[in-house]
Amino acid sequence: MPSRNIIEIENLHKSYSGFKALNNIHLSIEKSKIFGLLGPNGAGKTTLIRIINQILTPDFGTVKFDGEILSRKHIHHIGYLPEERGLYKKMKVGEQAIYLAQLKGLSKKEAKEKLNYWFEKLGATNWWNKKIEDLSKGMAQKVQFITTVLHDPKVLILDEPLSGLDPVNSLMIKNEILELKKRKTSIILSTHDMNSVEEICDEAAIINHSEKIMQGGIQELKEKYQENSWTIKYRGNQMSFTNAVWGGWEIITHKKINENTNKAEIRLLNQFTINQFIKGIVDHVEIVDINLKTPTIQEVFIKATTNE
Amino acid sequence: MSKIGLIISREYITRVRKKSFILMSFLGPLLIVGFVLLTAYLSSGEKEKYEILVVDESHLFDSILRNSTKYHLQWAPKDKSYSEVQELFKEDADLDLLVYLPINLIKTNFMTAKCLYKDIPSTGVQKHLSGIINEAIELYRVSYNKIDINTYKSIKTRINLDVVDIENEANKNIQRKAFIGIAFSMFIYLFIFIYSVQVMRGVIEEKTNRIVEIIISSVSTFELMMAKIIGVGLVGITQFIIWTSVTFIMSLTILPQIIPDKYNPASQIESDKISENIALIDPSNEILQFIIYEIQWPYLILFFILFFLGGYFLYSGLMAAIGAAVDEEADTQQFLLPLTIPMVFALMMAGKVIDDPSSSLSFWLSEIPFTSPIIMIVRIAMGIGDSSVEVWEIILSLFLLIIAFIFTTWLSSKIYRKGILSFGKKASYSEIIKWLRS
Repeated sequence: MPSRNIIEIENLHKSYSGFKALNNIHLSIEKSKIFGLLGPNGAGKTTLIRIINQILTPDFGTVKFDGEILSRKHIHHIGYLPEERGLYKKMKVGEQAIYLAQLKGLSKKEAKEKLNYWFEKLGATNWWNKKIEDLSKGMAQKVQFITTVLHDPKVLILDEPLSGLDPVNSLMIKNEILELKKRKTSIILSTHDMNSVEEICDEAAIINHSEKIMQGGIQELKEKYQENSWTIKYRGNQMSFTNAVWGGWEIITHKKINENTNKAEIRLLNQFTINQFIKGIVDHVEIVDINLKTPTIQEVFIKATTNE
Repeated sequence: MSKIGLIISREYITRVRKKSFILMSFLGPLLIVGFVLLTAYLSSGEKEKYEILVVDESHLFDSILRNSTKYHLQWAPKDKSYSEVQELFKEDADLDLLVYLPINLIKTNFMTAKCLYKDIPSTGVQKHLSGIINEAIELYRVSYNKIDINTYKSIKTRINLDVVDIENEANKNIQRKAFIGIAFSMFIYLFIFIYSVQVMRGVIEEKTNRIVEIIISSVSTFELMMAKIIGVGLVGITQFIIWTSVTFIMSLTILPQIIPDKYNPASQIESDKISENIALIDPSNEILQFIIYEIQWPYLILFFILFFLGGYFLYSGLMAAIGAAVDEEADTQQFLLPLTIPMVFALMMAGKVIDDPSSSLSFWLSEIPFTSPIIMIVRIAMGIGDSSVEVWEIILSLFLLIIAFIFTTWLSSKIYRKGILSFGKKASYSEIIKWLRS
């Protein structure tokens, strides 16, 4: 039976001269999904990526690729865009892209055809004979993105793919990532840009101090850190509102929107419910809008990694 | 093409396409030929033509002293005394030399001829003058003693002293050949150094670029390192082959046109109208002939390539490790010094090796892998055989070199593997030792 997951990691350990870089990592990455790999600097993300790329070997533990133990034959099915971008500065764009594609197992002819397709798609047709050093940073980044996806990898590992791109190019690459997902590519996105995680990732895992501290769907992660906090918009006197709010809840923020309208963020304490809260205020102010506050991924990340 | 082949060809093609490579391919031979020409020119004197005033007190020389366009002889007026002629010589700016042949010179062996100059003539000119005077005296004495000219010719010999090894006659003039060896050892040093530093730079470039992460996700670190070393090494061999071929072609085409009479011994003999039986030694001619005919070029070139490759593999593996250990080129100094010391030491010792190519110092320096490429080529240039270097010594040296480079490559690959992925940490010897132990 074909595996549901493209990558399955079990009990993975890796140390460098006594320092534990990865400790007992279990991770599964579903096929055709965008998976966010999150974690503070030095948490072990790069080590994990290097193990999947077979640049490093784990001390023990297993990595499975599409149900098989990861081996050299899987190299051709992985595309990797490292965080620190780099290409041979003196080499011409076309030559370099073909060279990198050949290293990933494409023939020269195939590489040329696919390159023409991608260059046209990303508006880079005129760059073929330019040297990398003559391109702007954003242009070079686009070239590198192309060289990463050229061989149609099953798994694409993108380490900060959007950093340094202007909003237009950033959007362009984001759309390409989504389109690749539609074409059944599984994508691992390692990034500190939580907005893009929220926008495009289906799932994410957070690694901290060499260990995986959580994994799940984006919504699932948010719910995990869901607090009993609400935002409420009301018409009426602020004094009447505060007087009505007694012991069971605390006001976190309060803002006057206009003459008669206010917005407040409250947190329910103990076993109190929102119904009790509404009952308490409903005779004093007119409720315009009330919402359960969902944490952003950024908030989830900070809470998870700082043990708040 | 396999991935390693792909990397080798990228390393090779990007380098041979560089302008600096193409420039050096032609500049190198030009420098070599220029150097040979300069040596020939300096040893042949500076002037094209010498006007020589001859005072012949015996009046016996005028018909037998060889005259030529280059060394043009004019006879001093017979009615003027030697001192008057000296005055004349001083005043006439066209005259270069004054040759004084005293009255009894032709008949006794006790007198000396004199050559007075304004600008000191080269040893070549001096040799020519003593040559033609000796020749004239001999011709006079042949006819005076009524000896048949053919008998004289058969007796007349011109001896060159070849210093020959008793057990191997091919080994002659080995000290002179050593200078060619020194030139070759300089080339080996330069080639090893230039190309192994190129390996180091290439590694640093890939590391600082981080492109190395993409490449080693396709090939192993060892394969990448070896492919780089092989690719750059091939560039070195290509450069050397271009240098030797261009130098060879230039020697055959340009050289004879620049110095036709010196280059071709035949053309000089033809110009010697008076007595073709005695060929005079033209020093520049001698140097060129020596370079062209006496050196065993095929062996020298073959062993140059073998020892260059051996030395290059030995050093470039270590250079690759250095490149992987540092983050930028400025940090390489502390590691480069210990590598260059053995090579520079070998170059300094080359003089001692020439003095006594079969001494134990010469033996060890040409067997120890870190100095052997530089020293062995000097000994090989001096001739393969008992007096300089024996065949088994060359084979042993190559064997040790191969063992050493396998060892250093193994060592380097350990450092390389760790270093290439370690960023931001300033590499130190203790860090490297830690990498080797892990």
